Order: sequence, then structure tokens, then C-alpha cells
Amino acid sequence: MPETIEIQLKKGVLGLCVLALLNRADSYAYEIASRLSDAIDMGEGTIYPLMRRMQGDGLVETYLVESSSGPSRKYYRLTEAGRAALAAQSAEWTAFTRAVDAVVAAPDAAPPHQDQPEGAQ
Amino acid sequence: MTRAEFIARLKNGLVGLPTTTANDIVADYETHFEDGLAAGRTEAEVAAALGDPARLARELKAEAGIQRWAQEKNPSAAAAAVFAVLGLGAIDILILLPLLMGVVGTLFGFFIAAIALFFVGGGIMVAGPFVGFPGGPLAAILMGLGLMAGAIFVGALLTIVTVWLVNGLVWFARLHYRLLKPALEPETTPSVTGASA
Repeated sequence: MPETIEIQLKKGVLGLCVLALLNRADSYAYEIASRLSDAIDMGEGTIYPLMRRMQGDGLVETYLVESSSGPSRKYYRLTEAGRAALAAQSAEWTAFTRAVDAVVAAPDAAPPHQDQPEGAQ
Repeated sequence: MTRAEFIARLKNGLVGLPTTTANDIVADYETHFEDGLAAGRTEAEVAAALGDPARLARELKAEAGIQRWAQEKNPSAAAAAVFAVLGLGAIDILILLPLLMGVVGTLFGFFIAAIALFFVGGGIMVAGPFVGFPGGPLAAILMGLGLMAGAIFVGALLTIVTVWLVNGLVWFARLHYRLLKPALEPETTPSVTGASA
């Protein structure tokens, strides 16, 4: 069921993607949503529950920037906790993808389980 | 769906949240429409990309309920968090429901028992010395005190278990739902509610 795996993966990494985007530059919700919906095909509406959750968890904070046209805009930036979460989650993600790659892309010549027959005897 | 329809449905779904929180959320989505229109998209395109407003409202409400529970540990916040999480309608949680009811019923029973024990202890302590409690007045007072202390201990223990249980439920809901499911599975949701127009 490739679909299910894809959904579960996206669910898991969306928060990580937002942290990574904000680590590069402060941003506002529309920009985050459109960049992520292009990149990983998520519904744009979900960015708002996610941002509220991350704000509640203290990973991001908001500030208002005066705009020449229209009302001031709400920007998000990472907090110290957010940076720590990004470091932890990206390390986890790298380790995970490396492990999965090693299994999925393993060459046929990989050594078989040699100790298994011995254990069975 | 037009912008006005989307916002109206969103507001409808947010009923029950504090007004400031709801206004804040609505302002976020209004801004999203402004930005989308400025980028040259139509209202219908923006609304379609955002997803079902009723489901978004349920997620936002669950998020607000969970956050309130994180800040204030009282029965009303616990109830709000539990109902908001159940309102998400994640199947795994609904399957848990009968089990949950049993656990809640048992906890409630223990709470009543603890309260009863407390009053019995108080009764023995106060009345025991005067009605010829076997062992004398001192034994009655000590036994009453002992029962009351025991009741308080059980009550405290039950409170800890209850807090732990609500935290566990919230954790489970987040794990299985991540408050993101609807927009990732937009095709499967419209039949659930009668909100399709």
C-alpha cells in the first residue's frame, strides 16, 4: 500500500520541513504553505493548525511586520527550542533514511544471514 | 466554494472556542485568501487548496483543547480536550471508546469510594469517642484519622492516574492523527459530513 506509506511519511515530516524552512529565513504562513504544497503536495489549510501547535509547543514565535500595502503581516521565526527540535529531528530523519536506503537499495550480493542456520541446529 | 462560504463554514465550526482565538484563526485564513488573490489565483482555487473548512475547524478546535489542557489541569479542561479529540472522529479512537468508558467509570467509582471513606473516617473520629468505640476514644480518633489519610492518599493517586490517562489519550490521538489527516486525504472526507454543497 504505497499510498498509506506516503501519507504516513508526509504526516511525520511536515513539521520537520517547516522547521527547516524557518531556519533558513523567517517567513509567513502563506509562503510556508505554498512552498510546502509545491514540494510535498500537502493541503495548504493544514499549515495553520500546525503553526498553532508549534507555537503552543514553543518551537516558533510570531512578530508583526508593517506592510506598505494593507495590514501588517504575521511572521514566524524559530525559537531556541525550535532550533534544538530541528537538530534532533533532522538527525533522526537522516539516520532513518540512511537505514531505509541501505535495506531498499541493498545489492543482491549482500551477505546472507550466516548465523541463522547455525542457530537453528 | 467562494471565500465568503469558506469563512462562514470555518466560523461555524469554530463555535465554542474563545472569541479571541476564533477571530485570530479566521484572520489567518482571510490573510491567506488575500495573499492567494494577490498571487493571481481565484477564490475557488484558494479554497480548494485549503481543504474542507469544517475539518480544518475540528483540527483547530482539537489543537486549542489540547493546549488548554497542557496549561490548566482541571476537570473542565480535561473534558474539553477529550471531547475535542473525540470530535476528530479518528477511527482508532472510536474503537477505544468502549474501553475508555469502562476505565472512566471505574475511576469515577473509586473517587466516590475515596470520598465515602473520608467521611466515614471523619464520622468515626468525631463520634467514636462518645458512643463507646471498642478500644476507647484514642483508638477511635486514630482509626478515623487513618481512614481519612487513606482516603486522601487514594484520591491523590486517582488524580494522578486521571491526568496520566488524559495525557495518554491526547498522545495517542496525536500519534494516530497528527492533526493533519484531512488535507492529506481530501478525497475521502466529503461523504462524512452533510456540508457538501
